[in-house]
Amino acid sequence: MLSYFIKRLGLAAAIVSVAMFLLFCMIYLIPGDPASVALGPRATEEMRAALREKMGLNQPVLVQFWNFYIGAWTGDLGEEVLSGRPVTTVVFEQLPYTLALIVGGITWSVALGIPLGCWAAVSRGSWADRIVGILSVAVIAVPSFVIAIYALLIFAVELRWLPAIGAGEPGNLGDQLTHLILPSLAVGLGWVGYIARMVRASMLEVLEASHIRTARAFGLPDRTITYRYALSIAILPTVTLLGVGIGQMLSSAVFAEIVFARPGVGKLVYDAILTRNFPIVTGTVLITTVLFVLLNLLADLIIGALDPRVRSSF
Amino acid sequence: MSSIFKGDVSRRSVLAGAGALGAASIAFPHIAVSADGSVLTIRSYSDLQVLDPAFWLALPEADIMRSIYAPLVSNQQGDEWNWRPVAVESIEQLDDLTIAFKLRDNIGFTDGFGQMTADDVKFSIERIADPANESPYAGDWSALKEVEIKDNLSGLIHLKNKFVPLWTTTLPTPASCIVSRKAVEEIGGKIGSEPVAQSGQYILTEWVPKQKTVLKRNPDWAYEPGGYEEIHILPIEDPSTAELGFEAGDLDYTWTSVSSLPRLKENPPAGSVVEEKPSLAYVWLGMNQDNEALKDVRIRRAIQHAIDRQTVVDAAYFGAAAVGNGIIAPGLPGSRDSVTYDYDPDKARELLAEAGAEGMTVTLDILNQSERLTAAQVIQANLADVGITCEIKQNDSGTFWTLGSKDGDYFMNLQLVLSRFSMNPDPSWATVWFTPEQVGVWNWERFNNEEYKALHEEGLVESDPAKRDEIYKKMQGLMDESGCYVFLTHEVVGLIHKDTVNPGLKPNGEPLLPLFKPA
Repeated sequence: MLSYFIKRLGLAAAIVSVAMFLLFCMIYLIPGDPASVALGPRATEEMRAALREKMGLNQPVLVQFWNFYIGAWTGDLGEEVLSGRPVTTVVFEQLPYTLALIVGGITWSVALGIPLGCWAAVSRGSWADRIVGILSVAVIAVPSFVIAIYALLIFAVELRWLPAIGAGEPGNLGDQLTHLILPSLAVGLGWVGYIARMVRASMLEVLEASHIRTARAFGLPDRTITYRYALSIAILPTVTLLGVGIGQMLSSAVFAEIVFARPGVGKLVYDAILTRNFPIVTGTVLITTVLFVLLNLLADLIIGALDPRVRSSF
Repeated sequence: MSSIFKGDVSRRSVLAGAGALGAASIAFPHIAVSADGSVLTIRSYSDLQVLDPAFWLALPEADIMRSIYAPLVSNQQGDEWNWRPVAVESIEQLDDLTIAFKLRDNIGFTDGFGQMTADDVKFSIERIADPANESPYAGDWSALKEVEIKDNLSGLIHLKNKFVPLWTTTLPTPASCIVSRKAVEEIGGKIGSEPVAQSGQYILTEWVPKQKTVLKRNPDWAYEPGGYEEIHILPIEDPSTAELGFEAGDLDYTWTSVSSLPRLKENPPAGSVVEEKPSLAYVWLGMNQDNEALKDVRIRRAIQHAIDRQTVVDAAYFGAAAVGNGIIAPGLPGSRDSVTYDYDPDKARELLAEAGAEGMTVTLDILNQSERLTAAQVIQANLADVGITCEIKQNDSGTFWTLGSKDGDYFMNLQLVLSRFSMNPDPSWATVWFTPEQVGVWNWERFNNEEYKALHEEGLVESDPAKRDEIYKKMQGLMDESGCYVFLTHEVVGLIHKDTVNPGLKPNGEPLLPLFKPA
């Protein structure tokens, strides 16, 4: 297990290193002068030059990359261009909002997707199965920003049941949850379809297994067989799917944060790209990349711990 | 559909359902964010970053600073550009070069920094003007010689030369906000996102980055109080999101996009007031005269004649905005009723033939906003009509605002560009960007005219409105003549507020936060 752990950790570090290199290249290739954008039309050339120097943009590109690389591995992501606030502070202020959005999205997708998948599986071939199938494909096909806009128009503007913008009063959990309902629905609804389809397929497979047939032979009720014995096995691929899906949910979060004017890392990086606030862009992308890699590492380690075949095959 | 839902399920019941998901046990001390009560909730288009009168970045910061650091004077609300005293008991121009002021007594700084004095005025103004401090707003006080202290509350502002825009674009802006010398020196000379030593009608009590800024009435402000107990400012960049937020009842006041104005005016949300204000901004199509393909003035003139400005503006703004005839908006000295080129495609074709440029191809750079794209597409069609192929290039804001900079590598390839600049209520604010010094900085057309420069200098010191009118009209005539400009519109400002709010607005619709009151 230790060898497996070391190998997976090394792979994670390599992934982060490659991501950092690609990130730096992309940032370097973006046209536009951060100093001009940041300082606005009234700044003098001297002021722009001073800011470029402060940001290290006057140095050779390799030096810039080296400073970025070393700084990142030592936890120094620099300072926000104009306010001078540490990038890590700025990013970690916003990260909880995005994590809450993703957890909310997962909650919606699990709460709706699993029962629907089970229902479709136990009603295989029936009208219910077909309806779930059609709905699943439909919600997968519709982009999250479209869902976000329609959810906002219907539930906030037309019906006025839920707030349209913001993340709720800091310190007021109830208000924050209320503000989370629509954006998390926008992030999670597409995954309802994925999960329903995945659960249905797994359930159909498991329901054919010998131990389920045995349970039926012993006269156990269908409900007990479905939810206690079949679902507990059928849900494992869904957990793996959700692990991979977190990355996609992060990109959906960008739209949700913009449409609902919520704070969060998606909105933060979007604004930072527009203003060429490079330290914030690199810091945010790097931290979310590390988070994603760590979550996948954790998932791999858990699977490795549970299944010796995975360890030996690595 | 809505009536069915409205009949059976209330918002409260949905909230109760949400509570059952895990928060049922949590009390809901929901703050009544309503203009009917003591809280005003408004939208700003960006979050604050720097609350320093010498280094601020965007208009929302200026709105906050004028509320929390008492300025000498501020704008008056209404339809005319006037000023009102705030920190001063009296302020008077004694002659062309001297302004006397006397501060109100009992204006205190928070955080224990004592009373506002004439020395703080001297510090605040000279700090902006001092070139060593590299304030982007040094130009506001470019005419300053010094501030002389007469006594604890009085002083004289001495100018080096006559400076007409002083009362319209310097004093009523953050350039006259007074900060505490002691406080600013203690923090090393610059204020960041956390204000120190506040002194205005409001004080900033809470800032949740990217989410909310809270201003509360300053309990120590001894004069006319702000109209609301609290003002909550939500940073929402996208105007469409803000409009939906307003319609959902989450905002009491917001600017709208110009293209939404016709829809909102025709069908205003219940309990709301939609207003349209004249904008000072100006939108134009620029042509880079140093680009090889556009060097011949006949080609630039052909493009001027090829564009149907009325159609461009109608299409881009859904009929909400009028055609503009220069860089100076109606109501200001120098505003024009017409340009020297009219829409004449035959003349355009003739000029192109004379220049041997039939069938030429040009590029048009724009910012990736829907109004700009629509305008660009009409321009593209107009140009196609006279035989010019136009390729539209959309840019994000970070790229767009550096396209014509001589520090970049694109400025000579730039051909046509659709631009919009914001404005202050003095014509010199518009003309300054087209002087020869600005070539390759903000003068992307590379219009280089010494007569224009001389007129700009003359306008800064001429106080006779009739003569100023003549000067600025002549300058725009020179711009027409260069063939580098097709003036399109000044746009309009759209805003919407609840009918329970009496908004304090400048003539162009910009907010004056301390003047907002319940209706």
